[in-house]
Amino acid sequence: MNIIGLWTFVRRELGRFSRVAVQTLITPWISALLYIFVFGRIVGSRIDSIGGVEYIDFVLPGILMMNIIMGAFMQTAFSLYFQRFARHIEEVLVAPLAYWEMIIGHIIGGVLRAVVVGAGIYVIAVLFSAASFTHVGLFIFYALSVAILFSLIGLLIGLWAQSFEQLNILNTFIIMPLSFLGGMFNSISMLPPLLKKLVVFNPFFYFIDGIRYAMIGIREANTNVGVLVIIGSLFVLGGLLWHLFRIGYRLRV
Amino acid sequence: MIPALEIKNLRKTYNSTIAVNDISFTVKPGEFFGFLGPNGAGKTTTIHCITGIARITSGSIRVFGHDVVEDYREARKQVGLAPQEFNVDIFGRVWDILDYVGGFYGMRKHERKERIEHLLEQFDLTEHARKEFRMLSGGLKRRVMLTRAMVHNPPFLILDEPTAGVDVELRHMLWNYLRELNKEGKTILLTSHYLEEVELLCNRVAIIHKGSIAAIDDTSAFLKDGKRLEHMYLEITKKAINTET
Repeated sequence: MNIIGLWTFVRRELGRFSRVAVQTLITPWISALLYIFVFGRIVGSRIDSIGGVEYIDFVLPGILMMNIIMGAFMQTAFSLYFQRFARHIEEVLVAPLAYWEMIIGHIIGGVLRAVVVGAGIYVIAVLFSAASFTHVGLFIFYALSVAILFSLIGLLIGLWAQSFEQLNILNTFIIMPLSFLGGMFNSISMLPPLLKKLVVFNPFFYFIDGIRYAMIGIREANTNVGVLVIIGSLFVLGGLLWHLFRIGYRLRV
Repeated sequence: MIPALEIKNLRKTYNSTIAVNDISFTVKPGEFFGFLGPNGAGKTTTIHCITGIARITSGSIRVFGHDVVEDYREARKQVGLAPQEFNVDIFGRVWDILDYVGGFYGMRKHERKERIEHLLEQFDLTEHARKEFRMLSGGLKRRVMLTRAMVHNPPFLILDEPTAGVDVELRHMLWNYLRELNKEGKTILLTSHYLEEVELLCNRVAIIHKGSIAAIDDTSAFLKDGKRLEHMYLEITKKAINTET
Protein backbone atom coordinates (compact mmCIF):
# COMPACT_ATOMS: atom_id res chain seq x y z
CA MET A 1 0.00 0.00 0.00
CA ASN A 2 1.23 3.50 -0.89
CA ILE A 3 0.48 5.24 2.42
CA ILE A 4 2.33 8.48 1.60
CA GLY A 5 0.58 8.55 -1.78
CA LEU A 6 -2.82 8.07 -0.18
CA TRP A 7 -2.13 10.73 2.45
CA THR A 8 -0.99 13.09 -0.30
CA PHE A 9 -4.23 12.41 -2.14
CA VAL A 10 -6.18 13.38 0.97
CA ARG A 11 -4.01 16.49 1.49
CA ARG A 12 -4.71 17.54 -2.07
CA GLU A 13 -8.47 17.10 -1.57
CA LEU A 14 -8.28 19.14 1.65
CA GLY A 15 -6.33 21.83 -0.19
CA ARG A 16 -8.89 21.86 -2.98
CA PHE A 17 -11.87 22.54 -0.75
CA SER A 18 -10.09 24.88 1.63
CA ARG A 19 -8.81 27.12 -1.17
CA VAL A 20 -12.43 27.79 -2.19
CA ALA A 21 -13.71 27.92 1.39
CA VAL A 22 -16.36 30.55 0.64
CA GLN A 23 -18.01 28.15 -1.78
CA THR A 24 -17.40 24.90 0.08
CA LEU A 25 -17.75 25.89 3.76
CA ILE A 26 -19.00 29.43 4.31
CA THR A 27 -21.95 29.07 1.90
CA PRO A 28 -23.46 25.97 3.58
CA TRP A 29 -22.88 27.51 7.02
CA ILE A 30 -24.67 30.74 6.06
CA SER A 31 -27.43 28.79 4.37
CA ALA A 32 -27.86 26.56 7.45
CA LEU A 33 -27.81 29.63 9.70
CA LEU A 34 -30.66 31.14 7.66
CA TYR A 35 -32.63 27.88 7.65
CA ILE A 36 -32.25 27.52 11.41
CA PHE A 37 -33.08 31.17 12.06
CA VAL A 38 -36.02 31.52 9.64
CA PHE A 39 -37.57 28.04 9.78
CA GLY A 40 -36.48 27.11 13.26
CA ARG A 41 -36.76 30.33 15.18
CA ILE A 42 -39.17 32.65 13.29
CA VAL A 43 -41.57 30.18 11.63
CA GLY A 44 -40.97 27.56 14.33
CA SER A 45 -42.12 29.90 17.12
CA ARG A 46 -45.60 29.82 15.53
CA ILE A 47 -45.68 26.02 15.14
CA ASP A 48 -46.77 23.69 17.90
CA SER A 49 -44.22 21.16 19.08
CA ILE A 50 -43.77 18.04 16.93
CA GLY A 51 -43.51 14.77 18.83
CA GLY A 52 -43.07 16.74 22.03
CA VAL A 53 -40.04 18.77 20.86
CA GLU A 54 -39.76 22.35 19.65
CA TYR A 55 -39.82 22.80 15.87
CA ILE A 56 -36.22 24.09 15.80
CA ASP A 57 -35.04 20.86 17.46
CA PHE A 58 -37.09 18.81 15.00
CA VAL A 59 -35.81 20.60 11.90
CA LEU A 60 -32.11 20.83 12.81
CA PRO A 61 -31.19 17.16 12.14
CA GLY A 62 -32.71 17.39 8.65
CA ILE A 63 -30.72 20.52 7.85
CA LEU A 64 -27.59 18.90 9.21
CA MET A 65 -28.11 15.72 7.17
CA MET A 66 -28.82 17.63 3.96
CA ASN A 67 -25.56 19.52 4.35
CA ILE A 68 -23.59 16.37 5.12
CA ILE A 69 -25.03 14.84 1.95
CA MET A 70 -24.32 17.91 -0.16
CA GLY A 71 -20.79 18.42 1.23
CA ALA A 72 -19.72 14.84 0.54
CA PHE A 73 -21.40 14.67 -2.85
CA MET A 74 -20.10 18.02 -4.14
CA GLN A 75 -16.57 17.30 -2.97
CA THR A 76 -16.09 14.03 -4.81
CA ALA A 77 -18.24 14.80 -7.86
CA PHE A 78 -16.64 18.17 -8.62
CA SER A 79 -13.14 17.06 -7.71
CA LEU A 80 -13.18 14.04 -10.01
CA TYR A 81 -15.02 15.78 -12.82
CA PHE A 82 -12.66 18.77 -12.72
CA GLN A 83 -9.64 16.45 -12.75
CA ARG A 84 -11.05 14.74 -15.84
CA PHE A 85 -12.03 18.06 -17.44
CA ALA A 86 -8.60 19.69 -16.94
CA ARG A 87 -6.90 16.31 -17.51
CA HIS A 88 -4.81 16.49 -14.35
CA ILE A 89 -6.31 13.12 -13.45
CA GLU A 90 -3.33 11.97 -15.55
CA GLU A 91 -1.04 13.11 -12.70
CA VAL A 92 -2.67 10.43 -10.58
CA LEU A 93 -2.97 7.80 -13.31
CA VAL A 94 0.79 7.81 -14.01
CA ALA A 95 1.64 7.60 -10.29
CA PRO A 96 2.13 4.33 -8.40
CA LEU A 97 -1.34 4.50 -6.86
CA ALA A 98 -3.84 1.64 -6.95
CA TYR A 99 -7.36 2.42 -8.18
CA TRP A 100 -8.76 1.53 -4.75
CA GLU A 101 -6.35 4.03 -3.18
CA MET A 102 -7.78 6.67 -5.51
CA ILE A 103 -11.33 5.73 -4.41
CA ILE A 104 -10.40 5.80 -0.72
CA GLY A 105 -8.55 9.11 -1.12
CA HIS A 106 -11.61 10.69 -2.69
CA ILE A 107 -13.94 9.24 -0.05
CA ILE A 108 -11.80 10.56 2.80
CA GLY A 109 -11.87 13.99 1.10
CA GLY A 110 -15.67 13.84 0.82
CA VAL A 111 -16.12 12.70 4.42
CA LEU A 112 -13.75 15.37 5.75
CA ARG A 113 -15.62 18.11 3.94
CA ALA A 114 -18.95 16.75 5.20
CA VAL A 115 -17.57 16.59 8.76
CA VAL A 116 -16.21 20.16 8.65
CA VAL A 117 -19.50 21.48 7.21
CA GLY A 118 -21.51 19.44 9.75
CA ALA A 119 -19.35 20.56 12.68
CA GLY A 120 -19.85 24.21 11.68
CA ILE A 121 -23.62 23.72 11.53
CA TYR A 122 -23.56 22.01 14.90
CA VAL A 123 -21.77 25.03 16.38
CA ILE A 124 -24.45 27.29 14.85
CA ALA A 125 -27.12 25.04 16.37
CA VAL A 126 -25.43 25.32 19.79
CA LEU A 127 -25.75 29.11 19.48
CA PHE A 128 -29.49 28.62 18.97
CA SER A 129 -29.59 26.12 21.88
CA ALA A 130 -30.88 23.48 19.45
CA ALA A 131 -28.04 20.96 19.52
CA SER A 132 -28.41 17.72 21.39
CA PHE A 133 -27.45 14.03 21.22
CA THR A 134 -29.61 11.15 22.40
CA HIS A 135 -27.60 8.32 20.87
CA VAL A 136 -24.04 9.46 20.14
CA GLY A 137 -22.95 6.15 18.55
CA LEU A 138 -25.90 6.17 16.18
CA PHE A 139 -25.25 9.82 15.34
CA ILE A 140 -21.66 9.01 14.34
CA PHE A 141 -22.85 6.01 12.33
CA TYR A 142 -25.44 8.01 10.37
CA ALA A 143 -23.20 11.03 9.80
CA LEU A 144 -20.22 8.97 8.59
CA SER A 145 -22.04 6.26 6.65
CA VAL A 146 -24.22 8.75 4.76
CA ALA A 147 -21.15 10.91 4.06
CA ILE A 148 -19.36 7.84 2.65
CA LEU A 149 -22.44 6.87 0.66
CA PHE A 150 -22.72 10.30 -0.97
CA SER A 151 -18.98 10.46 -1.57
CA LEU A 152 -19.43 7.26 -3.59
CA ILE A 153 -22.43 8.69 -5.43
CA GLY A 154 -20.43 11.85 -6.13
CA LEU A 155 -17.61 9.75 -7.58
CA LEU A 156 -20.05 7.92 -9.85
CA ILE A 157 -21.45 11.21 -11.12
CA GLY A 158 -17.95 12.67 -11.43
CA LEU A 159 -17.00 9.72 -13.63
CA TRP A 160 -20.15 9.75 -15.69
CA ALA A 161 -20.65 13.49 -16.26
CA GLN A 162 -19.53 14.98 -19.56
CA SER A 163 -20.42 18.57 -18.65
CA PHE A 164 -20.81 20.81 -15.60
CA GLU A 165 -24.56 20.79 -16.20
CA GLN A 166 -24.71 16.99 -15.85
CA LEU A 167 -22.93 17.31 -12.49
CA ASN A 168 -25.93 19.16 -11.11
CA ILE A 169 -28.57 16.75 -12.43
CA LEU A 170 -28.51 14.48 -9.37
CA ASN A 171 -28.72 17.40 -6.98
CA THR A 172 -31.62 19.03 -8.81
CA PHE A 173 -33.69 15.95 -9.56
CA ILE A 174 -32.84 13.56 -6.72
CA ILE A 175 -31.09 15.02 -3.66
CA MET A 176 -33.10 18.21 -3.24
CA PRO A 177 -36.64 16.84 -3.88
CA LEU A 178 -36.12 13.60 -1.96
CA SER A 179 -34.63 15.48 1.02
CA PHE A 180 -37.56 17.88 1.15
CA LEU A 181 -40.08 15.05 0.75
CA GLY A 182 -38.19 12.80 3.17
CA GLY A 183 -39.23 14.71 6.26
CA MET A 184 -36.52 17.33 6.45
CA PHE A 185 -38.87 20.08 7.62
CA ASN A 186 -41.91 18.09 8.68
CA SER A 187 -43.17 14.95 10.31
CA ILE A 188 -44.37 12.45 7.71
CA SER A 189 -47.70 12.40 9.52
CA MET A 190 -48.24 15.86 7.96
CA LEU A 191 -47.87 14.50 4.40
CA PRO A 192 -50.85 13.82 2.09
CA PRO A 193 -51.96 10.15 2.24
CA LEU A 194 -50.33 9.12 -1.05
CA LEU A 195 -46.93 10.64 -0.16
CA LYS A 196 -47.19 9.12 3.29
CA LYS A 197 -47.39 5.68 1.67
CA LEU A 198 -44.58 6.40 -0.78
CA VAL A 199 -42.16 7.86 1.77
CA VAL A 200 -41.02 4.39 2.89
CA PHE A 201 -39.42 4.02 -0.56
CA ASN A 202 -37.50 7.28 -0.18
CA PRO A 203 -34.00 6.49 1.16
CA PHE A 204 -33.55 10.09 2.32
CA PHE A 205 -36.41 9.54 4.76
CA TYR A 206 -34.29 6.92 6.55
CA PHE A 207 -31.16 9.12 6.55
CA ILE A 208 -32.99 12.11 8.04
CA ASP A 209 -35.09 10.06 10.41
CA GLY A 210 -32.05 8.14 11.60
CA ILE A 211 -30.00 11.19 12.48
CA ARG A 212 -33.07 12.82 14.03
CA TYR A 213 -33.52 9.78 16.27
CA ALA A 214 -29.84 9.93 17.19
CA MET A 215 -30.13 13.62 18.07
CA ILE A 216 -33.55 14.06 19.68
CA GLY A 217 -34.82 10.50 20.20
CA ILE A 218 -37.82 10.79 17.88
CA ARG A 219 -38.29 8.37 15.01
CA GLU A 220 -40.93 7.64 12.42
CA ALA A 221 -39.06 5.08 10.33
CA ASN A 222 -37.89 1.60 11.11
CA THR A 223 -34.24 2.13 12.15
CA ASN A 224 -33.28 -1.41 11.15
CA VAL A 225 -34.55 -0.81 7.63
CA GLY A 226 -32.61 2.46 7.51
CA VAL A 227 -29.36 0.80 8.61
CA LEU A 228 -29.88 -1.96 6.04
CA VAL A 229 -30.60 0.55 3.27
CA ILE A 230 -27.37 2.41 4.06
CA ILE A 231 -25.14 -0.67 4.41
CA GLY A 232 -26.67 -2.32 1.32
CA SER A 233 -26.17 0.85 -0.75
CA LEU A 234 -22.56 1.15 0.46
CA PHE A 235 -21.81 -2.39 -0.74
CA VAL A 236 -23.56 -1.99 -4.09
CA LEU A 237 -22.08 1.42 -4.91
CA GLY A 238 -18.66 0.52 -3.54
CA GLY A 239 -18.60 -2.61 -5.72
CA LEU A 240 -19.74 -0.71 -8.78
CA LEU A 241 -17.11 2.00 -8.32
CA TRP A 242 -14.39 -0.54 -7.64
CA HIS A 243 -15.28 -2.18 -10.98
CA LEU A 244 -15.43 1.11 -12.91
CA PHE A 245 -12.08 2.33 -11.57
CA ARG A 246 -10.52 -1.07 -12.22
CA ILE A 247 -11.50 -1.02 -15.89
CA GLY A 248 -10.62 2.68 -16.13
CA TYR A 249 -14.12 3.76 -17.18
CA ARG A 250 -13.81 7.36 -18.44
CA LEU A 251 -10.44 7.57 -16.70
CA ARG A 252 -8.00 5.67 -18.88
CA VAL A 253 -8.58 6.05 -22.61
CA MET B 1 21.07 -6.26 -19.44
CA ILE B 2 17.42 -5.46 -18.71
CA PRO B 3 16.12 -2.92 -21.24
CA ALA B 4 14.86 0.40 -19.93
CA LEU B 5 11.83 -0.06 -22.16
CA GLU B 6 10.68 -3.19 -23.91
CA ILE B 7 7.58 -3.01 -26.07
CA LYS B 8 6.33 -6.26 -27.59
CA ASN B 9 3.56 -6.41 -30.19
CA LEU B 10 1.77 -3.40 -28.77
CA ARG B 11 -1.62 -2.77 -30.27
CA LYS B 12 -3.97 -0.02 -29.22
CA THR B 13 -7.37 0.57 -30.74
CA TYR B 14 -10.06 3.15 -30.02
CA ASN B 15 -13.32 1.50 -31.06
CA SER B 16 -12.59 0.62 -34.69
CA THR B 17 -9.62 2.97 -35.10
CA ILE B 18 -6.18 1.40 -34.87
CA ALA B 19 -3.90 3.93 -33.18
CA VAL B 20 -0.90 1.63 -32.66
CA ASN B 21 -0.57 -1.49 -34.77
CA ASP B 22 1.65 -4.28 -33.44
CA ILE B 23 4.81 -2.32 -32.66
CA SER B 24 7.86 -3.75 -30.94
CA PHE B 25 11.08 -2.04 -29.92
CA THR B 26 13.44 -1.68 -26.99
CA VAL B 27 15.29 1.22 -25.44
CA LYS B 28 18.56 0.41 -23.69
CA PRO B 29 19.43 1.87 -20.28
CA GLY B 30 21.23 5.17 -20.66
CA GLU B 31 20.03 5.67 -24.21
CA PHE B 32 18.76 9.00 -25.54
CA PHE B 33 16.01 7.74 -27.81
CA GLY B 34 14.14 9.84 -30.36
CA PHE B 35 10.58 8.79 -31.11
CA LEU B 36 9.40 10.59 -34.22
CA GLY B 37 6.36 10.65 -36.42
CA PRO B 38 3.76 12.95 -37.91
CA ASN B 39 0.78 14.16 -35.88
CA GLY B 40 -1.57 11.28 -35.16
CA ALA B 41 1.08 8.64 -35.96
CA GLY B 42 0.75 6.97 -32.55
CA LYS B 43 3.59 8.55 -30.52
CA THR B 44 1.46 9.93 -27.73
CA THR B 45 -0.75 6.83 -27.66
CA THR B 46 2.36 4.67 -27.21
CA ILE B 47 3.52 6.96 -24.40
CA HIS B 48 0.09 6.79 -22.79
CA CYS B 49 0.26 2.98 -22.90
CA ILE B 50 3.70 3.03 -21.26
CA THR B 51 2.61 5.38 -18.48
CA GLY B 52 -0.83 3.95 -17.71
CA ILE B 53 -2.93 6.80 -19.10
CA ALA B 54 -4.24 4.44 -21.80
CA ARG B 55 -5.28 0.81 -21.58
CA ILE B 56 -3.31 -1.60 -23.74
CA THR B 57 -5.47 -3.51 -26.25
CA SER B 58 -2.88 -6.30 -26.69
CA GLY B 59 0.87 -6.84 -26.37
CA SER B 60 3.11 -6.01 -23.46
CA ILE B 61 5.30 -3.22 -22.14
CA ARG B 62 8.05 -3.55 -19.56
CA VAL B 63 9.96 -0.71 -17.93
CA PHE B 64 13.25 -1.87 -16.42
CA GLY B 65 11.74 -5.37 -16.38
CA HIS B 66 8.50 -4.35 -14.68
CA ASP B 67 5.30 -5.06 -16.59
CA VAL B 68 3.28 -1.83 -16.78
CA VAL B 69 0.02 -3.69 -16.10
CA GLU B 70 0.96 -6.53 -13.76
CA ASP B 71 3.62 -4.66 -11.82
CA TYR B 72 2.35 -1.13 -12.41
CA ARG B 73 3.55 0.37 -9.12
CA GLU B 74 7.21 -0.47 -9.76
CA ALA B 75 6.94 0.31 -13.48
CA ARG B 76 5.49 3.77 -12.79
CA LYS B 77 8.16 4.61 -10.21
CA GLN B 78 10.75 4.23 -12.96
CA VAL B 79 9.13 6.75 -15.31
CA GLY B 80 8.82 10.52 -15.30
CA LEU B 81 6.48 11.95 -17.92
CA ALA B 82 6.45 15.48 -19.28
CA PRO B 83 3.39 15.44 -21.55
CA GLN B 84 2.63 17.56 -24.56
CA GLU B 85 -0.36 19.24 -22.93
CA PHE B 86 -0.52 21.08 -19.62
CA ASN B 87 -2.42 18.38 -17.70
CA VAL B 88 -2.22 20.18 -14.40
CA ASP B 89 -4.46 21.84 -11.82
CA ILE B 90 -4.26 25.35 -13.25
CA PHE B 91 -5.34 26.91 -9.93
CA GLY B 92 -2.63 25.04 -8.02
CA ARG B 93 0.58 26.76 -6.91
CA VAL B 94 3.80 25.53 -8.48
CA TRP B 95 5.20 24.28 -5.17
CA ASP B 96 2.00 22.40 -4.32
CA ILE B 97 1.81 20.78 -7.76
CA LEU B 98 5.34 19.43 -7.35
CA ASP B 99 4.85 18.52 -3.70
CA TYR B 100 1.70 16.49 -4.42
CA VAL B 101 3.37 14.62 -7.26
CA GLY B 102 6.34 13.80 -5.02
CA GLY B 103 3.90 12.51 -2.43
CA PHE B 104 2.06 10.34 -4.95
CA TYR B 105 5.39 8.66 -5.64
CA GLY B 106 5.84 7.95 -1.94
CA MET B 107 8.55 10.56 -1.23
CA ARG B 108 8.80 11.73 2.36
CA LYS B 109 8.33 15.40 3.28
CA HIS B 110 12.02 16.27 3.74
CA GLU B 111 12.96 14.40 0.53
CA ARG B 112 10.32 16.30 -1.42
CA LYS B 113 11.40 19.64 -0.01
CA GLU B 114 15.04 19.07 -0.83
CA ARG B 115 14.32 17.74 -4.32
CA ILE B 116 11.81 20.47 -5.21
CA GLU B 117 14.11 23.26 -4.03
CA HIS B 118 16.92 21.79 -6.14
CA LEU B 119 14.76 21.46 -9.26
CA LEU B 120 13.21 24.92 -8.89
CA GLU B 121 16.68 26.39 -8.75
CA GLN B 122 17.84 24.28 -11.68
CA PHE B 123 14.93 25.45 -13.82
CA ASP B 124 15.02 29.04 -12.58
CA LEU B 125 11.57 28.72 -11.04
CA THR B 126 12.32 29.57 -7.41
CA GLU B 127 10.71 33.02 -7.58
CA HIS B 128 7.58 31.49 -9.14
CA ALA B 129 7.14 28.70 -6.59
CA ARG B 130 4.17 30.34 -4.85
CA LYS B 131 2.42 31.45 -8.04
CA GLU B 132 -0.63 29.72 -9.44
CA PHE B 133 0.13 27.72 -12.57
CA ARG B 134 -2.38 29.69 -14.65
CA MET B 135 -0.50 32.94 -13.90
CA LEU B 136 2.72 31.72 -15.54
CA SER B 137 3.91 32.40 -19.08
CA GLY B 138 3.99 29.57 -21.64
CA GLY B 139 7.72 28.99 -21.17
CA LEU B 140 7.44 28.88 -17.39
CA LYS B 141 4.54 26.44 -17.64
CA ARG B 142 6.66 24.17 -19.82
CA ARG B 143 9.44 24.31 -17.22
CA VAL B 144 7.01 23.32 -14.48
CA MET B 145 5.91 20.31 -16.55
CA LEU B 146 9.52 19.20 -16.92
CA THR B 147 10.23 19.78 -13.26
CA ARG B 148 7.16 17.73 -12.35
CA ALA B 149 8.44 14.80 -14.42
CA MET B 150 11.68 14.82 -12.44
CA VAL B 151 10.43 15.27 -8.88
CA HIS B 152 10.72 11.60 -7.97
CA ASN B 153 14.09 11.36 -9.73
CA PRO B 154 13.11 8.55 -12.12
CA PRO B 155 15.74 6.68 -14.15
CA PHE B 156 13.60 6.92 -17.29
CA LEU B 157 12.25 10.21 -18.62
CA ILE B 158 9.60 10.46 -21.31
CA LEU B 159 9.46 13.91 -22.81
CA ASP B 160 6.60 14.44 -25.23
CA GLU B 161 7.49 17.55 -27.25
CA PRO B 162 9.11 19.31 -24.31
CA THR B 163 10.37 22.28 -26.32
CA ALA B 164 7.12 23.05 -28.15
CA GLY B 165 6.45 26.76 -27.84
CA VAL B 166 9.50 27.65 -25.73
CA ASP B 167 11.97 30.39 -26.54
CA VAL B 168 15.48 29.78 -27.88
CA GLU B 169 17.20 30.41 -24.53
CA LEU B 170 15.08 27.88 -22.70
CA ARG B 171 15.43 25.38 -25.51
CA HIS B 172 19.24 25.59 -25.28
CA MET B 173 19.15 25.49 -21.49
CA LEU B 174 16.94 22.42 -21.69
CA TRP B 175 19.18 20.70 -24.23
CA ASN B 176 22.20 21.17 -21.97
CA TYR B 177 20.27 19.94 -18.98
CA LEU B 178 19.00 16.85 -20.79
CA ARG B 179 22.53 16.06 -22.02
CA GLU B 180 23.74 16.30 -18.43
CA LEU B 181 20.97 14.02 -17.21
CA ASN B 182 21.73 11.52 -19.95
CA LYS B 183 25.44 11.61 -19.05
CA GLU B 184 24.48 10.86 -15.45
CA GLY B 185 22.80 7.70 -16.72
CA LYS B 186 19.18 8.68 -17.20
CA THR B 187 17.39 7.03 -20.10
CA ILE B 188 15.42 9.55 -22.13
CA LEU B 189 12.69 9.02 -24.70
CA LEU B 190 12.08 12.22 -26.59
CA THR B 191 9.40 13.10 -29.12
CA SER B 192 9.76 16.31 -31.04
CA HIS B 193 8.84 17.92 -34.31
CA TYR B 194 12.16 19.82 -34.19
CA LEU B 195 14.29 17.25 -35.98
CA GLU B 196 17.53 19.18 -35.47
CA GLU B 197 16.91 18.78 -31.76
CA VAL B 198 16.57 15.01 -32.13
CA GLU B 199 19.63 14.90 -34.39
CA LEU B 200 21.63 16.80 -31.80
CA LEU B 201 20.55 14.86 -28.72
CA CYS B 202 19.50 11.31 -29.57
CA ASN B 203 21.68 8.21 -30.04
CA ARG B 204 18.92 6.22 -31.66
CA VAL B 205 15.73 7.10 -33.45
CA ALA B 206 12.48 5.32 -34.27
CA ILE B 207 9.97 6.69 -36.74
CA ILE B 208 6.37 5.71 -36.29
CA HIS B 209 3.89 6.23 -39.09
CA LYS B 210 0.19 5.40 -39.00
CA GLY B 211 0.66 3.25 -35.93
CA SER B 212 3.57 1.15 -37.27
CA ILE B 213 7.31 1.49 -36.88
CA ALA B 214 8.56 2.68 -40.28
CA ALA B 215 12.26 2.83 -39.34
CA ILE B 216 14.48 2.37 -36.31
CA ASP B 217 18.25 2.80 -36.19
CA ASP B 218 21.17 4.69 -34.72
CA THR B 219 20.97 8.40 -35.42
CA SER B 220 24.25 8.16 -37.37
CA ALA B 221 22.62 5.69 -39.80
CA PHE B 222 19.98 8.30 -40.65
CA LEU B 223 22.69 10.87 -41.28
CA LYS B 224 24.91 8.98 -43.74
CA ASP B 225 25.89 10.51 -47.07
CA GLY B 226 25.71 13.94 -45.52
CA LYS B 227 21.94 13.84 -45.27
CA ARG B 228 20.01 15.48 -42.47
CA LEU B 229 17.51 13.68 -40.30
CA GLU B 230 14.76 15.85 -41.75
CA HIS B 231 15.43 14.55 -45.31
CA MET B 232 15.51 10.96 -44.17
CA TYR B 233 12.36 11.46 -42.09
CA LEU B 234 10.48 12.87 -45.07
CA GLU B 235 11.74 10.08 -47.34
CA ILE B 236 10.70 7.38 -44.88
CA THR B 237 7.26 8.79 -44.16
CA LYS B 238 6.68 9.40 -47.91
CA LYS B 239 7.80 5.85 -48.67
CA ALA B 240 5.41 4.55 -46.05
CA ILE B 241 2.57 6.47 -47.69
CA ASN B 242 3.52 5.14 -51.15
CA THR B 243 3.70 1.56 -49.85
CA GLU B 244 0.19 1.91 -48.49
CA THR B 245 -1.19 3.28 -51.77
